[in-house]
Amino acid sequence: MSNTREVISSGNDLSALAAVDAGCKFFGGYPITPSSEIMHTISDLLPKRGGAAIQMEDEIAGICAAIGASMSGVRSFTATSGPGISLKAENLGLAQMAEVPLVVVNVMRGGPSTGLPTRVSQGDVSQAKNPSHGDYKSITLCAGNLAECYTETVRAFNLADRFMQPVIVLLDETIGHMHGKAIIPTQEEVEANIVPRKTFDGPAEEYRPYGVAQDEPAVLNPMFQGYRYHFTGLHHDAMGFPTEEIETCRKLIDRLFLKVDEHVDELESNEEYMLDDADILLIGYGSASLAIKEAIHRLREEGIKAGLFRPITLWPSPEKRMYELGQKFDKVLSVELNQGQYLEEIQRAMGRKDIEKLTKTNGRPFSPQDIIDKVKEL
Amino acid sequence: MSLMKAPENTPVWTDENRCKACDLCVSVCPAGVLAMRYEPHSVLGSMITVIAPESCIGCNECELACPDFAIYVADKKEYKFAKLSDQAKERAKQIADNNYMMLGA
Amino acid sequence: MAFNYDEYLRTEKIPTLWCWGCGDGVILKTFIRAIDKLGWKKDDVCVVSGIGCSGRFSSYVDFNTVHTTHGRTVAYATGIKLANPDKHVICVAGDGDALAIGGNHTIHGCRRNIDITLIVIQNFIYGLTNSQTSPTTPRGFWTVSQKAGNIDPTFNACKLAEAAGASFVARETVNEPRKLEKVLIKAMEHKGFSFVEAVSNCHINMGRKNKMANAMANLDWIDSITLPKKKYDALSEEEKLNYLPTGILKEDNEAEEYCEMYEEIKKVHQGKRGKITQDDFKKKL
Repeated sequence: MSNTREVISSGNDLSALAAVDAGCKFFGGYPITPSSEIMHTISDLLPKRGGAAIQMEDEIAGICAAIGASMSGVRSFTATSGPGISLKAENLGLAQMAEVPLVVVNVMRGGPSTGLPTRVSQGDVSQAKNPSHGDYKSITLCAGNLAECYTETVRAFNLADRFMQPVIVLLDETIGHMHGKAIIPTQEEVEANIVPRKTFDGPAEEYRPYGVAQDEPAVLNPMFQGYRYHFTGLHHDAMGFPTEEIETCRKLIDRLFLKVDEHVDELESNEEYMLDDADILLIGYGSASLAIKEAIHRLREEGIKAGLFRPITLWPSPEKRMYELGQKFDKVLSVELNQGQYLEEIQRAMGRKDIEKLTKTNGRPFSPQDIIDKVKEL
Repeated sequence: MSLMKAPENTPVWTDENRCKACDLCVSVCPAGVLAMRYEPHSVLGSMITVIAPESCIGCNECELACPDFAIYVADKKEYKFAKLSDQAKERAKQIADNNYMMLGA
Repeated sequence: MAFNYDEYLRTEKIPTLWCWGCGDGVILKTFIRAIDKLGWKKDDVCVVSGIGCSGRFSSYVDFNTVHTTHGRTVAYATGIKLANPDKHVICVAGDGDALAIGGNHTIHGCRRNIDITLIVIQNFIYGLTNSQTSPTTPRGFWTVSQKAGNIDPTFNACKLAEAAGASFVARETVNEPRKLEKVLIKAMEHKGFSFVEAVSNCHINMGRKNKMANAMANLDWIDSITLPKKKYDALSEEEKLNYLPTGILKEDNEAEEYCEMYEEIKKVHQGKRGKITQDDFKKKL
């Protein structure tokens, strides 16, 4: 009995299917090109499996409804594009502060502002690192092919429950609308590997939802089950009540960072493609990596040995691995459909200022030739 | 019905830890049962006092008006309240004219 | 025996942070008595509040409580309710939270007629942040953002809720806690979106610079601008401009409730009934 299946679908539809397979029971959203298909598909899938999906009156209401449902204890989901993330920013901050798990899919499109609604970009990478005001510790995943639209969404739900915060999944217009064959895990396989959020089963008087160790996330029991506590975006104490007490406030923000930083090994996920014998290191992610891989094949036919490092978890970044690669490779080329947003992180992680860059912001995907030409220039 | 035991033989009683001296209960009492006394340790310098419990008619207006859970009235079934007298009404008016402070304080 | 409010309070948080004499406390007590009379279990109740003095309401009650971002009270509550349709969800928001930044969400909560009760604590000002103009601040009042005097025209919150589709709309004041309690009970029992405007006093911020520096003066002013609906209906059109009617202003027990309608959607997708069509509805537009 295989634990994979072959499907023919689009990236957006796969993401919606993944959410429902991973136990999502609530979707709150708003239509925005190019992510609307996720909402359309999940509006059919969720009620079929006993969940609820609602198109709210605006982007902000969409994420608020999703966060509310998650606070009540169900796995919850929203999907949007760049302008929607901008609108959702304040409430992403609340979900982070109150430690509410949530999966947010951003199908990136040409920006900034209204930009190019029906065309591709990877322009929301920096935004995903700091989508909200104040200190924000981002967990951001980026799907690099059709199957990952499914598997990364599933992973996002488990990570959101593990770390008790929003997890952003970056797709883009190319991969969201790409239609083709993908080999994905079966529904049973996904269900067997669901890791739900931790809960407390002791006496209610002893329950301290936010009274946890400094490298642990809050333990938030579902509502309506005998454990009553408070959610707020203000600084709060162990029961969630607002406080301005000096030590409590210091430890809270530290913990929001430590709970991720102390466990990055659980988050790191990269693909190293033909790096073993490579002379030139290409760094790219998302749909751009598809063109990069094709370019690598063609370059190698001409004797140019290029290889790809593809981060799948973009934030926190794989800084240690990138540093090692920066030591190993002389020539490093960052390839992204934006003005060089991840380039900044690569430079920081490698401690180098001489990283080459190939950028493109006119809403068109990279062709392998774009990349081949640039590599030959180096 | 969520109930708590009332102190014996008491028509109305207060919780001075919760009273914020807003004067509202004094202002709604028709029978001059309540007034404020000077209290240097309280934030506004005054504190609720039950000055004439024997005049209390059990109308419950003070309890309904208090925003801070600081005043309670006994149940009509457990305490025999007074009837509203002219003397009580007069006293209430004098307290109101005295800025809700106790007379002769 | 006397009513034991402590049963429903997070007593370690009392006294509240509200100013002395603030109507928020009266609304809190009235709300607690209403919940008690309804006999609801504490575990089945969720109170969602926004930002402002009214926003602190949720931290004082011993239910499942949520303190949201400014204006988003009804949106959060919609998610909680739709994911848990058999539980009781109550929103508490101020006039600024519900009608200014949260206007859109309030309107759509009314439109959907989802089974939530929204209590708008109407003190005609942004109290917590020191007296900025709200969409209901009376014209000509002094506010900190319009020291020359407020020129902004106002909403009639209840009319807005009615027009948007709320199936239960009522207004009462903190001067009449017994009436407010009755209205809250009816509102929370009502199946559909219940909009209750609870008119309250903010004498410390709003009142002080508008000739009502103590609670009693502010409450007298509230008395002077409200009239029970029957008396209000008898006024001339010109007189009506400066009064707010109190009582139950709309009660429609026939309107379909959103979560119930959503159950039909589930049935369609689970193959238990045919698609929903225009014929399923009396009001089709």
